[in-house]
Amino acid sequence: MNAGLLVVASLLSAPSGVAVQDVGKADELGFVPPAPGSYVLQHILRAPEGPVLDVRGQPRRLSRFTTGKITLLSLIYTSCGDGSGCPLASHLLAQLRERADGNEKLRSRLRFVTLSFDPDNDTPEAMRVYADGYLSGRTGPPWNFLTTRSRRELVPVLNGFGQDVWMAVDGSSEKAGKLPHLLKAFLIDRHGWIREIYTTSFFQPLVVLNDMTTLLLEEQH
Amino acid sequence: MLRASISSMWLAAAWLASFTLIASPGATADETCNSPYIGNLIKGQEDYVYVWTLGIEGLGDGSDKLVTIDANPASKTYGKVIHKVSVGRRGEAHHMGLTDDRRALWAGGLDDSRIYVFDIAKNPAKPRLVKTITDLSAKTGYVGPHTFYALPGRVLVQGLSNSQDRGGVTGIAVYNNQGKIVARYPMPTEGGGDGYGYDIAINPKKNVLLTSSFAGKQNYMTSLGKLVKDPEAMKHFGNTMVLWDLKAMKPTKIFSVPGAPLEIRWSLNSGDNWAVTATALTSKIWLIKQDAKGDWQAQAVADIGDASKIPLPVDISIRADGKGLWVNTFMDGKTHYFDLTNPEKPVQTFEKVTGKQVNMISQSWNGERVYISSSLLANWDKTGTDDEQFVRAFHWDGKELSPAFEVDFLKEKLGRAHHMKLGSKALKMAFDDVPGRPPLASR
Repeated sequence: MNAGLLVVASLLSAPSGVAVQDVGKADELGFVPPAPGSYVLQHILRAPEGPVLDVRGQPRRLSRFTTGKITLLSLIYTSCGDGSGCPLASHLLAQLRERADGNEKLRSRLRFVTLSFDPDNDTPEAMRVYADGYLSGRTGPPWNFLTTRSRRELVPVLNGFGQDVWMAVDGSSEKAGKLPHLLKAFLIDRHGWIREIYTTSFFQPLVVLNDMTTLLLEEQH
Repeated sequence: MLRASISSMWLAAAWLASFTLIASPGATADETCNSPYIGNLIKGQEDYVYVWTLGIEGLGDGSDKLVTIDANPASKTYGKVIHKVSVGRRGEAHHMGLTDDRRALWAGGLDDSRIYVFDIAKNPAKPRLVKTITDLSAKTGYVGPHTFYALPGRVLVQGLSNSQDRGGVTGIAVYNNQGKIVARYPMPTEGGGDGYGYDIAINPKKNVLLTSSFAGKQNYMTSLGKLVKDPEAMKHFGNTMVLWDLKAMKPTKIFSVPGAPLEIRWSLNSGDNWAVTATALTSKIWLIKQDAKGDWQAQAVADIGDASKIPLPVDISIRADGKGLWVNTFMDGKTHYFDLTNPEKPVQTFEKVTGKQVNMISQSWNGERVYISSSLLANWDKTGTDDEQFVRAFHWDGKELSPAFEVDFLKEKLGRAHHMKLGSKALKMAFDDVPGRPPLASR
């Protein structure tokens, strides 16, 4: 078993208690990705600005967490029970953070951010508990867990990222406590530009690491 | 009422199930012909068929328009036009594409190169025109926006031509979902490339993007009758397909595919590593597939009708399981079905004349419903009584296409029916009740 698979094996039981898919195969790409620095990531759009709360309930500006470092940000809600949705996103962030921890060049230049889109239930305290499950006993680049005070403050941020959350018209999703959405994670450069957006089909750890390195090389040049 | 209620519940269940699928690495696509990055799969009963329609001078308001047809059999207005949005001008309406979040339909004009963005999230029954993008030519030099293909947060727009010589050399423009230009990529003109473009199709699991090639504005805006009598003009059709490294957006291999390869469809069957296209002028199905060494190869695998009679294959639609392919041939008005169980040897198992001229074809996810439209290009459509304009819906039981409904686009004073996309009302935007939520247009 190689080191990558060992990492995966250690994370298969997600802190949320939800069984996530075995992403050990995620690096078994059906292709050879282009080498870091051999391609240019598009400047897709600016990361949105808005008020957020950290796990201590302190009001912050989102830009504090989307500029100054290369940032991988995912949008989740902590009660999501879809093993191929939010738990998978957090699981992949944890995996990438652990890999970055072993890369001296990346470690000091990266940041991870998890932002909730369920302000009704994901209080700062709920986010702290959720964060503990991923941070406790592990080291790596900073990983910030954020929420918002209200839907009113959340919606402009969601719109800014283009992260849509839906509801069944018949009320079934709301009744079940579900917030259907498309899994998305955003790679943001140190200037606050979103340079790649990963949905499930794109969210392959090796490719994400290559993209991070590409941004790093871009900064150096 | 009970029927409608059950239908709604089933729709919602199908929608929710679709989210699970889109979040799963095993899921690859929407209603078989869309980008694999589009969320909110419709795998149940579609509620609407959106039809991007070319205006006809003197018919109705004469303008291009987005027409909404009620496609849910449980509805009182099933098979009827329930809404239309005119854009106030004619610009050779052609193809459409959904954004990855399925909030918007982008629709293009091949003549005026305008791109219209319709909001279909707020009220799926009544799309609204929320933005008009007019900078394609100025920002890229490309004209004739043809294919609109979703990437996360972006739309790839494949041009057909250029503003310099109106020939076929063109490129791909990338816009973000807000309508701002992000990047441009010229079609390759070296290493065997002819620089032409037409369709785009992505296989994310292989990190590949495939493009096909058609013709420039000089050709597609000329009447078909005049064009076929001009040997020099007939030389200016695309004869290539290009394989791109998707991540790098760089061409990696150019295939010789003579005769204007048009629509591209990847097999959505998990584990498959192939796509098909149909060549308009040489009337063949081509297979693009990895060989045993992992190298991509292209080969002609079947004839479509009698090529010597130029039946002109136009649109194709692949089954969700990759086991069958619909092909429309414009000139003879036939709809063909090919068994693709062995993609290297497609076998035609059915054909039927479905109109005097037929172009686009779309099918529901389960393959049981098939929609056909009539118009190819304003100057290529037939004339006189052969110039039927319609959307016809059929039931498919594996053996026969049975009529379900028809909308006569001339009688309804709508225009020429071209590209179709399916819509649903099962989901709505969460937090839509939040005061001050900005509309799509201002995002």
